[in-house]
Amino acid sequence: MEKIFLKTDFGKTIDNYEFLGLNKALRMKPSEVLEKVKENCIRGRGGAGFPAGIKWDFVAAEKSEIKFVVCNGDEGEPGTFKDRFLLENLPFKVIEGIIIAGYAVDARYGYIYIRGEYEKAIKSIRESIHKMTERKLLGKSILGSSFGFELKLIRGAGAYVCGDETSLLNSIEGKRGLSRIKPPLPAKEGLYEKPTLVNNVETLSVIAEILKYDQNIYLSLGTPKSRGTKLLSISGDVKNPGVYEIEFGKMSIMQIINDLAGGVKGSGLGFVMPGGIATNIISDEQLDTPYTYEDLEQTGSSLGSGGMIVVSKDRDYLSIVKNISDFFMNETCGTCFPCREGNRNINKMIDKMISDGKVGSQDIEIIREIKQAIGLAARCGFGQASVNSILSILEKYFEKKVYV
Amino acid sequence: MTYCVKINDREYKFDEEISILQAAAQAHIKIPTLCYNEKLAPYGSCRLCSVEVEGRKTLMPACVTKIENGMIVKTHSEKVRRVRRTIMELIIASHDISCNLNCLNCSRSSSCEIRQVAQEIGIHSIRIPPIEKKQSVDSSSHAIIREPSKCIVCNRCVRKCAEVQNVNVLTVANRGPKTIITTFMDRGMGNVDCTNCGQCILECPSGALHEAYHLDYVWKAIENSDKMVIVQTAPAVRVAIAEEFGFKPGTIATGQLVSGLRLLGFDKVFDTNFTADLTIMEEGTEFIKRFKSQKKLPLFTSCSPGWIKFIEHNYPEMLDNLSTCKSPQQMFGAVIKSFYAQKIGMDRDKIVVVSLMPCTAKKFEAQRNEMKGDVDYVLTTRELAKMFMQAGIKLMDLSAEDYDSPFGESSGAAELFGSSGGVMEAALRTAYEIITGHELENLNFHEVRGLKGIKEACVKIGTQEVKVAVAHGLGNARILMERIKKGEKFDFVEFMACPGGCIGGGGQPIPTNEEVIVERMTAVYDIDTLAKHRKSHENESVKRLYKEFFGEPLSERSHELLHTSYTVRH
Amino acid sequence: MEKFYSKELIEELRDIQDTYGYIPEEQIVKIATKKNIPKAHLYGVISFYSMLYLEPTGKYIIRLCNSVSCRLNNSTEILRSIKEFLKIENGGTTKDKKFTLEVAECLGHCGEGPVMMINGQVYSFLTPEEAIKILKSLQ
Repeated sequence: MEKIFLKTDFGKTIDNYEFLGLNKALRMKPSEVLEKVKENCIRGRGGAGFPAGIKWDFVAAEKSEIKFVVCNGDEGEPGTFKDRFLLENLPFKVIEGIIIAGYAVDARYGYIYIRGEYEKAIKSIRESIHKMTERKLLGKSILGSSFGFELKLIRGAGAYVCGDETSLLNSIEGKRGLSRIKPPLPAKEGLYEKPTLVNNVETLSVIAEILKYDQNIYLSLGTPKSRGTKLLSISGDVKNPGVYEIEFGKMSIMQIINDLAGGVKGSGLGFVMPGGIATNIISDEQLDTPYTYEDLEQTGSSLGSGGMIVVSKDRDYLSIVKNISDFFMNETCGTCFPCREGNRNINKMIDKMISDGKVGSQDIEIIREIKQAIGLAARCGFGQASVNSILSILEKYFEKKVYV
Repeated sequence: MTYCVKINDREYKFDEEISILQAAAQAHIKIPTLCYNEKLAPYGSCRLCSVEVEGRKTLMPACVTKIENGMIVKTHSEKVRRVRRTIMELIIASHDISCNLNCLNCSRSSSCEIRQVAQEIGIHSIRIPPIEKKQSVDSSSHAIIREPSKCIVCNRCVRKCAEVQNVNVLTVANRGPKTIITTFMDRGMGNVDCTNCGQCILECPSGALHEAYHLDYVWKAIENSDKMVIVQTAPAVRVAIAEEFGFKPGTIATGQLVSGLRLLGFDKVFDTNFTADLTIMEEGTEFIKRFKSQKKLPLFTSCSPGWIKFIEHNYPEMLDNLSTCKSPQQMFGAVIKSFYAQKIGMDRDKIVVVSLMPCTAKKFEAQRNEMKGDVDYVLTTRELAKMFMQAGIKLMDLSAEDYDSPFGESSGAAELFGSSGGVMEAALRTAYEIITGHELENLNFHEVRGLKGIKEACVKIGTQEVKVAVAHGLGNARILMERIKKGEKFDFVEFMACPGGCIGGGGQPIPTNEEVIVERMTAVYDIDTLAKHRKSHENESVKRLYKEFFGEPLSERSHELLHTSYTVRH
Repeated sequence: MEKFYSKELIEELRDIQDTYGYIPEEQIVKIATKKNIPKAHLYGVISFYSMLYLEPTGKYIIRLCNSVSCRLNNSTEILRSIKEFLKIENGGTTKDKKFTLEVAECLGHCGEGPVMMINGQVYSFLTPEEAIKILKSLQ
């Protein structure tokens, strides 16, 4: 069943949204807010799953007059639309989370970067910032405290790769959206070389929600390694696609598909990409895997940012592979050779597979080598994930296995 | 702090926090790179330098990863070599090498870095089918040609144009498979503020950038019995041409060069150094005039066409500060097609003037309207080497020969034109003796020599103090121009577009790096030291030219033939 | 802090795009001078982003999603019918300069596919007939 936690306060207006989290946070010490975030074991919801508390620690530890909080709303992953859900329907919670983050790490300036195509979300956030500023929930002294925070909205201009942390910072700075060479990490030298905290929309919303409670509410939800709940966007060959909130560990993939998403469309389930096209596929018995970070990792796949795509067995898998490859080939920032040339060459090979009507084992071997090269040598996470689903589909359905 | 680093199972100690690439180099291990140049900001795009670092999940790029105390690095493990081979295969697949024999007819067939790195990495098979990029050649510029199909987008040319030259006409555009290196609005090098300096060519690891070729035109002219083909040789070529034949940088090959040019079929082999002395006479007099009247100072030198285009685009309000003197190349053409043509009774249309230059911008200069076609074709040092090879001439085996008269005589000062600070030094030697009337005892002006980006000196000439400055590389030129605009006072400034001066020019043998430039520079100053006459005004042939034809420096005839004007370019 | 209090480049470019339907060259030169960025590099930045155009576009920019979920919901049919109706290819503009067609990557409405976006307005759960109806209403 859907577990409503983050989705509370859905659709509230500025008049009836209570900003409880912010109120409570401002009455605590910044270090106490930081502790709370760490204690609740919140993992970043943007795809990497990195413990948010540790990131916050890094930024809080930096001594600087100016620090930034940047909310990453550049959701571009095919199959993921949960951030849009939050930005359109719970904008105050998102902004609340940003302010709380600023308070905890001592940053007084923030950006929220929303992908250019999300007109409605942009409008919603813009209006919310305006209303909150009017009511002194943003600006010089928030809710009468000594903490001031200013938030700017930046619209993206159509580049999926800007969802990568450092690419996003480059984009705000007016550069091409390439990733940066690390170190230094953004926590040390981020936006305009100042310590910067970059967090996903959902991560910040979760923190705003958690701060409402005196107890460590997240610890009562989920599993030890995957605390709390997750907003899952599910689409593809399912009868009821949408954004559903799931408590970690309480449902398996199959249960999610059948009980929440109305079951598979078509003659039966083919495979699932649990975290969208950047993750390996899972199928058959793997579908009983509980929905948690650790269990999905065990299968060799990953939760990603929570955008699940379901594919029925009626589909032409090779054309899906081509579609995925087109995406990565077109969206790579084009800077590093492994990713740019790797994705381009894989795309050409897939074209040939389709026109020849066959998939050679040598081709799959080459794609495997390219994947290894990209995985080990590419400049950023985009590249490193780009061949995952493609190779896993080819390996599972097109590689002839010799059984002894 | 000491850094103990284990590289390939051996312990090394370093006392600076350098990159793994630099540390390995100190340990005499070469890690392959394509997008890296120690003089440019690291870009980290080719990923060929990836190495194994214990404790890290992915490989780390050695060019940007700093060593840490206790780090354990494997530079050539099986995993690393495999990844490097795959990346190299990918590069080759996208480099447009197909059975069009691209490597064989490529401008860089003997100096291609991609080929060299492929050898270092050891490709034994290419499993990835090549992709035809079918991108059209940009031949809009008179000086520099771009072949985007061969470009691997390593971004070195962009960084050189931005960080060293500060001209900024190249950029990376688009995204994904459409990522290319191009100019503003993809307009072409000839249609943007490119200064034609050619530093991008020197930086490019492949044949994606090269000069506009004139050698076929020159062959045609030589083979045309109707035409008299005259060649002039720049000072910077004679200390570099031997490199194209396997000799070390700084090998002086003047005599062999002259001999080789005759064997190629040139009717007369003259020396641009002659007109360098002529330039000093004109410019020296021009300087003295301005210095006396204290008007239009500082005087800027005008022999570097890359610098000229730079100031025309960027500081058109200061064009009046430029010397009106043509460059030695152009003065030569003008003298040949007027005085010499008359002297030998030949129609100027029957004379073809070819200049041999270390420079790509000279190709643009030659076709400027003001130059009236006095110089027909310009060959870079590299192009000349190609011609020698096409003619089977083993240059360094030839015996030395002398230049033809009357334009073969030159002073040591003329040779200095090839190095940054050289024009200034040559001019000072002459200006000193004209102003004071005394002989200059110490001919060496050390403060204007060397590789420092901007050199300044206060030279005492008689009772006067002359404030001079020398900038080389357009990045330094811009810095100095900003200082002058802000009001800093100088009397005479030498500007050269290329780092090191002409010896580092865009037409020189590749590689041209700091080490090589230093060797060539030493050779230039050696030639000067050993010269019979070391001052421009001691050149007897120049004196005779004034007597017979020009009268005196800055005469009306000089103005007509040896001086020029400039264009405001926005 | 002046950087925080001045308009970011990407926002300026979005504004110009919204005003003119593309980024005219004079505007590029203007911004390059204002922000002290070389023209060529600014061109490099603009050409990176798919929502910024260097050439005039139609009054309505149709972005049709072609990523996996929309594909699984028949976006190719929609594409075919739009191409037929407007008589243009992907990336093309109609002769009367009314429509420009772009096949886009995931627009973030994967549960409502097939989806197209026209100048920021999202149309979801499309059928070929509906898509044509929408275009007709804009003509």
